[in-house]
Amino acid sequence: MPKIIPAYLTFIIIFSISILFVKGQVVFSQENTQEASNTFPLTDSSADDEGGFEDEFEDEFEDEFADSGQEVFDPLSGYNRVMTGFNDGFYFFVLDPVARGYRWVLPDMARRGVKNFFHNILFPLRFVNNALQLKAKNAGEEFLRFSINSTIGILGFWDPAKDLFGLEAHEEDFGQTLGYYGVGGGFHVVLPFLGPSNLRDMFSLYPDMQMDPVNYVEKRPYNFPKQEGEYLGVSRPTLQALEMKLFKTVNNESLRIGQYENLKKDAIELYPFLRDVYEQNRAKLIRE
Amino acid sequence: MQASKKIIINMLLVAIFSFSLGTTFLFADEVSEIREMTKEKVDHVIITLKDDKLNKEEKKEEILKTIDGLFDFNLMARLSLGKKFWKKLSSEGRNEFTELFVEKLKQSYLDKLDLYTDEEVVVDEAKLIKKKRVEVLTYLVSKDDKMEMTYKLYKTKKNVWMVYDVDVLGVSIVQTYRSQFSGVLKKESLEKLIERLRSSAELGS
Repeated sequence: MPKIIPAYLTFIIIFSISILFVKGQVVFSQENTQEASNTFPLTDSSADDEGGFEDEFEDEFEDEFADSGQEVFDPLSGYNRVMTGFNDGFYFFVLDPVARGYRWVLPDMARRGVKNFFHNILFPLRFVNNALQLKAKNAGEEFLRFSINSTIGILGFWDPAKDLFGLEAHEEDFGQTLGYYGVGGGFHVVLPFLGPSNLRDMFSLYPDMQMDPVNYVEKRPYNFPKQEGEYLGVSRPTLQALEMKLFKTVNNESLRIGQYENLKKDAIELYPFLRDVYEQNRAKLIRE
Repeated sequence: MQASKKIIINMLLVAIFSFSLGTTFLFADEVSEIREMTKEKVDHVIITLKDDKLNKEEKKEEILKTIDGLFDFNLMARLSLGKKFWKKLSSEGRNEFTELFVEKLKQSYLDKLDLYTDEEVVVDEAKLIKKKRVEVLTYLVSKDDKMEMTYKLYKTKKNVWMVYDVDVLGVSIVQTYRSQFSGVLKKESLEKLIERLRSSAELGS
C-alpha cells in the first residue's frame, strides 16, 4: 500500500506542476516578447501592430519556407518556358473548346461514367505501384475496388466500391514509387501536350504506359482480321491507342472546365508558377 | 535499501509519464478548440454559398467578412515576399505591397468560389506542430473528387489563432508566391514588382 500512495501522489503533483509550468511559460514568453518590442522600438513606426514581429519569431516562420534566394536547378528553363506557352495555347485554342463542345453534347452522368471506366482499367498501375511501395492494405483495397467496380459497377462505369463500401482509390504511379525509394525528381521538364514533369517522372511514363490497357487497344470491327500497316507513318495500333487517349483526355477535361483558368490567376509568371505547383504536389504525393 | 531504490525509480517513471500526459491534455484541449473554430468559419462559408436568398455580391461580402478574422493576410503578405526583400522596403512600400497583395489574394480566393457547385467540406483532425502552430486538415469533397486542404494556424500575440498559410493538395500558397516573387526580383526591382501587382489588380477588378 505505502508504495502506491507516493506514486499516486507524485502523479497528481507532477501533473498539476506540468500544467502550471506550461501555462507559466506561455505567459512568460508573452511578457518577453512585449519587453523585446518595448526595448527595441521598430525603426518604422508606421508598421501596424500585426506587422511588428520581433526577429526571432519571424525567423521561425522563415524556416518553414524555402529560402527566397534559393536557386532552382533548371537547365532547360528556356525550352520549358516556350513549351509552357505552347501547351497553354493548345489548351485555350484546342482542348478547352473541344471539351466544352463535348460537355454540351453528353450529359454529366455519361461523362462521369466514361471517366470511371478509364480510371477502373488503370487498376494494374495502381495495384503494382502500391505493392512495390509495400502498401499492402492499399494494394488490397485496390484489388477489391477493381473486383467490385468491374462486376457490380458494370465494367467500371459506376463506382460502387466508393459509394457503397467506402473504398477510396489509392493513386500511385511509377514516378511515386521511385520517389518513395529516394530517387530525386531531377530537373524540371515540360512535355508537349502532357505538361509539367521532371526527369524521374518523364522516364516513369514508359513503365506507366506498359500498365495502361488503353495502349493495348485494337480496333477490330466484328471479327475482321487485325488491321495492319501504317497511316501517315504511324502504325495503326499506336494510332488507335492515341485515339483512345485523346477521347479520355477530352472526357476528363470536360469534367474540370474552368479549373486551369482559375489556377492560372495565382500566377505572376506562368512557367515558374506551374513548375512550383507541380513539384510541390508531387513531393506531397510521394510523402504519403 | 533495495526497496527504496525501486520506489524512487518508480516515482521517477511516473513523474515523467504524468508530466508528458499533463502537457498533452492541456494542448489537446486548445487544439480541439482551434479545430472547432476553423470548422465553424469554413462551414459558414459553405452555408453562405448555398444561400439562395443572397446575390453574388452579398455572398462575396459575407464570405470576406467571415474569413477576415481567420486569415492573417498581413502576415501572409510578409511571408510571401520573404524577409530579405521585406527589409529593403520603406514603410510606404510595405503598406502598398501588403495592400495590393492582400487584394490579389482575396480576389483569387473569391474567383475560386465561382467554381463552387455542390462540394462539402469535411474538417478532419487538427494537429499540434509546435507550441504555437496548429494544422487543421480538411477535405473538399465533390461527387467524384476529394481535395485535401490544410489550414496552417499560429498563435498571435493577442492569443488568437490565425491562418498564415493554406496547403491545397500539398501546394502551399505562401511558398508558391514566395518563389515567384524571388524569381521576378532576380530580374526586376521591387518597384517594378509592385507596379506589376498594381496593374494586375486594375485588370482584375
